[in-house]
Amino acid sequence: MTDHERWEDAAGSYVLNALTDEERVGYEAHLATCAECRAEVAELRIAADALPVSPPPMLPPPALKARIMAEVEREAALLASAGKPDRTYAPEPKREKRRWFGGGSLALPRPVLGVLACALVAAGIAFGALVVNGSAGRTIDFQSTLPQASAQLEVNGDTATVVANGLPTPPAGKTYMVWLTRPGHAPEPTSALFTPRRDGSATASVTGDLDGVESVLVNTEPVGGSTTPTSTPFLTAKLS
Amino acid sequence: MDVRALADEDLIPLMARGDARAFETVYERHAGAAYSLAYRMVGTRSVAEDVTQEAFLNLWRSGAHYDRVRGSVRTWILGIVHHRAIDALRRASVHSRRRSDDETAAERLEAPDKVEEDVARRDEAAIVRNAMDILPADQLKVIELAYFGGFTHVEIAEMLEAPIGTVKGRMRLGLKKMREVLAQGAVG
Repeated sequence: MTDHERWEDAAGSYVLNALTDEERVGYEAHLATCAECRAEVAELRIAADALPVSPPPMLPPPALKARIMAEVEREAALLASAGKPDRTYAPEPKREKRRWFGGGSLALPRPVLGVLACALVAAGIAFGALVVNGSAGRTIDFQSTLPQASAQLEVNGDTATVVANGLPTPPAGKTYMVWLTRPGHAPEPTSALFTPRRDGSATASVTGDLDGVESVLVNTEPVGGSTTPTSTPFLTAKLS
Repeated sequence: MDVRALADEDLIPLMARGDARAFETVYERHAGAAYSLAYRMVGTRSVAEDVTQEAFLNLWRSGAHYDRVRGSVRTWILGIVHHRAIDALRRASVHSRRRSDDETAAERLEAPDKVEEDVARRDEAAIVRNAMDILPADQLKVIELAYFGGFTHVEIAEMLEAPIGTVKGRMRLGLKKMREVLAQGAVG
């Protein structure tokens, strides 16, 4: 059996990412030497690329956009606070399709990387828990000292999310920050820094270990956050 | 500058530099297709939302890695969604319970309330579905199991109790036929 005969039927499985890892490596080695199979892969990929638009079109819930934009705006503020919001645009060299998905690294200014890495890792952990736990969990109302503001803490397993409405825009150079308190200890900073959207709503993933946490606080801090609170909390949620 | 007037390919460099408004515009254009694909794959709204969120945050954080040579922004986004949905299926073992999940059944009954109003996107989906509907059932099944289910051809062969060669052949023939039908229509 020739190499071509061995791989003759693999093009469909390949473009559907249905080959095993070992087979994929072997087939890609064959593709490098076989123009006929490369042409077939290019042809079948057109059909495979149409598959993702075939599901009945649905609209995502507005709350999903609110959650995503809260995270994006928080990270954009972090980048801006580093004074150099210029993630370099540099397309990667051409690679095989499945490798795109490998969770590429960030091209960020060095000073931002540390802060952002913490936030992103925490956000990733929070997301993982959300996926595993689904929407199960409990909701705790924040006590607010701002008459127009209301907020809830949605707790899912080891993670929590602040969902707020009616928040004023923080003063220039300031952001909102989430803190955790444990009995007998000073408030612990988290990497959850956020600014509300134009309609006053906001969503922020609370990072850090929630074990033994007595309350979750939100106050106003300089953009970039602080290690100890510099203002009185305006939102307080009691966990225990 | 009104970012809404820009093409997708011009928004990505802005987004990669941390422009949240550029990202928001990309989201508004493609969130419907992304969510629809995620829901089709994972079968529950809550997980579909999680998958869509993870995919778009990944997009926001790795926008610098878009390469227009590889295809359109939408193809790129839907590729990320597809990959994340497969991760979610494997992580949460949604495979085994999605068809019998009460929530799923209830959600499917409610689905008409959430249908996309964008005529162009509805038409495009219909064209692709028509191309899929023309396929013999055994070819369509292996393609759907591979793409929407994330199964390898070895797993599909076990599932269907069919030889691996048969499964591979059905995938190849089915996609070839789909390609021919799409070439006669406007999509592809």
